[in-house]
Amino acid sequence: MQADPTRKRGVTDLVGSLPLIIFACVLIYISFNAPNFLTLRNLELILMQSLPVVLVCAGLGAVVMAGGDDVVSGGIDLSIPATAVLSAGITAVMLSQGWPLAICAGVALLACLSVGLLNAALVTRIGMTPLLTTLAMFVAVVGVNNVITSSRRIDVDHPWIVALRAQEIAGVPLGIIAVALVVAAIYFALHRTRWGLNLQAAGGSRDAAEISGLPVSRLFGQSFVLASGTGYICGFFVLARGSGSSPGVQDNLMLEMVLATFLGAAFSTRRVVTMWGAVLGAVLVAAISIGFKSIGVNVFWTGLIKGSLIVIVVALSALAQRGR
Amino acid sequence: MSDLSAFSLQGITKEFPGVRALEDASLKVRPGEVHGLVGENGAGKSTVIKVLAGIYRPEAGNITIGTQTLSPATPESVHAAGVRFIHQELHLVPHFTITESVFLGQERVGRFGLDTAGMRADAEAFLRDMLGVTLPGNRLIRDLGTAERKLVQIARALIDGAAKVVVFDEPTAPLASDEVDTVMRAIRRLKEQGIAILYVSHYLSEITDICDRVTVFRQGKTVGVFDDITDASGSDLVYAMVGRDIADMFPKKGTRQTGTGFAIDGLSDGKTFEGISISVGKGEILGIAGLIGSGREELIDTIYGLTKAGSGSFTFEGQPLQIKSAAQAVRAGIVLVPRDRRHDGLVLPMTVAENTTLATLERNATFGLENRRAVSNSTEAQIKALDIRPPNPNAVTRLLSGGNQQKVVLARWMAKSARVFIFDEPTVGVDVGAKAEIYQLIEDLAAGGACVIVSSSDPVELQGVCDRIAVMMRGAIIAELPTEGLSVDTLVAATTGAVDARELADAS
Repeated sequence: MQADPTRKRGVTDLVGSLPLIIFACVLIYISFNAPNFLTLRNLELILMQSLPVVLVCAGLGAVVMAGGDDVVSGGIDLSIPATAVLSAGITAVMLSQGWPLAICAGVALLACLSVGLLNAALVTRIGMTPLLTTLAMFVAVVGVNNVITSSRRIDVDHPWIVALRAQEIAGVPLGIIAVALVVAAIYFALHRTRWGLNLQAAGGSRDAAEISGLPVSRLFGQSFVLASGTGYICGFFVLARGSGSSPGVQDNLMLEMVLATFLGAAFSTRRVVTMWGAVLGAVLVAAISIGFKSIGVNVFWTGLIKGSLIVIVVALSALAQRGR
Repeated sequence: MSDLSAFSLQGITKEFPGVRALEDASLKVRPGEVHGLVGENGAGKSTVIKVLAGIYRPEAGNITIGTQTLSPATPESVHAAGVRFIHQELHLVPHFTITESVFLGQERVGRFGLDTAGMRADAEAFLRDMLGVTLPGNRLIRDLGTAERKLVQIARALIDGAAKVVVFDEPTAPLASDEVDTVMRAIRRLKEQGIAILYVSHYLSEITDICDRVTVFRQGKTVGVFDDITDASGSDLVYAMVGRDIADMFPKKGTRQTGTGFAIDGLSDGKTFEGISISVGKGEILGIAGLIGSGREELIDTIYGLTKAGSGSFTFEGQPLQIKSAAQAVRAGIVLVPRDRRHDGLVLPMTVAENTTLATLERNATFGLENRRAVSNSTEAQIKALDIRPPNPNAVTRLLSGGNQQKVVLARWMAKSARVFIFDEPTVGVDVGAKAEIYQLIEDLAAGGACVIVSSSDPVELQGVCDRIAVMMRGAIIAELPTEGLSVDTLVAATTGAVDARELADAS
């Protein structure tokens, strides 16, 4: 009666892995044109460059897992990059006024978590769509940050922040180790605990989760708070990477975050957004950005290329979803 | 021995505003038996299940589970007493594994996070030993068939080993016929392990097949408990379900000329129904009967172009028709009065006049602008013809009663001078007086030479209104019965599979 299910599965799988194939082709093209691209030195550079994106992707991954991977009505949190620059902005301004780092970090944490809580309340209590809510939140939080920093660059040379960029432990940069630990902790929480599995169930099928007695709204809300937490941590890596807080970082961060997270679904055998997928996606996206720079693609074209890649990746993920 | 019960509900009365859903109803299930619960739509089956589940609190009555009397019964106390519910809907996460689904919300935790290996072993063992299927615990739900998903759902409810009573609510509704056996075997195995089972279903053939005893509900009351169920009990059950008091609200069927009209040949949607061929002559009323899951609703949606047909063709007066969208259907003169008119049929905040003329805007417009006077005139004519109350074109549609809303939908299509009318559940949510008027309208349409198709879950309505009834079951038409001389009992028996409908058709 139906089309042969195994063949249909095969086609769906192909559509699901197409984003990866496209990325692989782009990377191969770059490595042919930029001879130094595939060196160990360069790979380390790519990893270092990807750290902020990896962190926000981990956060977005959690929200998508808890709210479902429908781009329009499911879970999405576009405000994470704004939370990251808010965290960076508050820390930079307070450091420049002479406050100790611990106090700066504490104030930034409070500010970031309240963004997450506000998102959670708007989405789960009032029932607003996550896409619109967090887009508005993105604009608002960036606005707050502009007020705090007066929209200017603030240099940061606190030794701890510098260490995130320059310190190495046994030959491995401290920043990479720190992010690896954070990601491992979030991975454990999302994939190896009851809480994480319930969160995934909430996003996978709201009805199924509710009928099983899971507190769906609360889980979804918690994912927003977790996401704001990753944005908070990301703020310090933004400071480290840019040697301070500068306006405009959030735009690129947002683009790469969305691209990487949905690209990451292609890494999962279940073709859904997962932690590992999001993290690997972030590294791939950083590789492409650096690759474009090293073969001398005009900066203005990079925006167009990234935008198109987002459309392709999200469209393919929608197609793959329809097939199942 | 016979006094022992796994659970019993006694003297349950439950009222909703304006309706007494249950009146002194009782239901008693013994340990280790499969007990059937049957009744027509609205007989109170789902209410009594919700009372047992502790979701509804009855005004009067006792709920006893095992030896303890629960007062009040709450979802938690009922669960603690060992009662489990297998819901009709298959709510499972598509990209979860069998193991994850079985343990959803009741995961086990080891020293290093989730105890995946242990849970998988237990889930596989449970499916094998208790339900009789061998499935790998890491397979994804979306790769399973519907029957296997049902078994996963059952396993989820029973994996904690504390179940004493299991309530199955229409367990086979989404299944194809060969899948039903898989679920039936699993239920028999549960019974062998001494678990009491309450089996709620519209399919009487399944009830007589698997149940030891059956309770029949009608209009919120227990009207019979049958002790010795055999394959021949079907007609007794139908008699108890339908009762004898059918109000005389149907119009006299006129004698009409019937000519070649609308015909469907070999229609399939590739999922829920296959190879449907029916024809309805001009001036004829064809009924379509079928339980939920028989493919009836999907068939109607496909005829109207709401869902795409996989294969098949439509003709009107012998001429082929293209129906790929609802807009094409309307242009071809085929109109639908949908089952959920509040959502599909009407723009509720608009006035009666606006709703009535939605489909005919181009006729009432001059150079693309709406001609308000023409609209008002044509609406007033329709209001008079259909006796819509209040007779005010500017009344807001939301405030009208169900029956009058239904008439507004009709008025719109009559303004469009359609040739084929499809009614999907025309009297759901409509009071008795309005029902009679709607039946009269349907009769008038046919008398005026239109082809009419009425799809309904109410056998009394079909028997009373239609000239001929096509009975659907599991995606196919199993019989076409002329209504003359057809009793409601026979129709219900055919729809529920209590008798072989093919024999009926041959006999008549």
